[in-house]
Amino acid sequence: MVCLGQATIMQPAAVQNMIFSNIETIPGMTITQSLGVVSGSTVRAKNVFKDIGAAFKNIAGGEIKAYTELLQESRNEALFRMLQDATARGANAVVNVRFATSSVAGGAAELLAYGTAVVVQ
Amino acid sequence: MAFEGLIIAAFFAACTVGPWLLSLFATMIYQPRKRKVLLERETAAAATGDALTTLSKPFGNREIREFRVMMASVVMSPSWVQMWIGGIMSLFGGQINVYTKVVDWARREAKQRLREQVAEAGFDEVVNMRIETTVMSKNNGGKDKTAGVEILVYGTAIKY
Repeated sequence: MVCLGQATIMQPAAVQNMIFSNIETIPGMTITQSLGVVSGSTVRAKNVFKDIGAAFKNIAGGEIKAYTELLQESRNEALFRMLQDATARGANAVVNVRFATSSVAGGAAELLAYGTAVVVQ
Repeated sequence: MAFEGLIIAAFFAACTVGPWLLSLFATMIYQPRKRKVLLERETAAAATGDALTTLSKPFGNREIREFRVMMASVVMSPSWVQMWIGGIMSLFGGQINVYTKVVDWARREAKQRLREQVAEAGFDEVVNMRIETTVMSKNNGGKDKTAGVEILVYGTAIKY
């Protein structure tokens, strides 16, 4: 699962109809109310077993697929939490969504998604 | 007795020199081949013009039918040999070519993936594309030697 549309792939029905975009507006709609900044984050550590494979892959260099997948999954989780937060505030869209990542310690990474919750019509 | 000694010597060599040789071959052969494939993909995609833009709004005044946030990411790591060379080069400072190569490769790969995803889903353009870079550092002092850099490319794909 790599790309997300209107959060259709997210499991809980609560956020399925949330619209979110990376730009300042929702195309074709007007923003009527701003509800503040919403964010969602998750910290993930790498799997010990995958990590062995990654350590071997590290000898040769190049892409480490296990980590790519791990981070993608976690980023979707962070995005989902952000959308949940927005739903809880009564918003029906999130604009200007940004992603940020930082590595906390040795194999753990924190993934953050944030944006502005709005009501659109 | 001599035979057993030979086996022990061979095992020792395989454990010490083996990974480094593997790493050297990977750096010299495997990585350039991968980069060549990437260049071919990029050339094929560039034939119809680049879909990615960093503009915050789509250019012009056309009606947008559909949009979707899309992202592509890649975790790329330098090989042992590259890290070793990089470690020595960082004593002298200046440009460290081996690392430049890996990071540049990762960024190009991530962008190319986004282009392919967008084309596959039938979108015309990506606006407000952003690039995030994260260093997945190795555990300092620990046994974990894995190092890498994660590149995330995301943006709003739009369909006219």
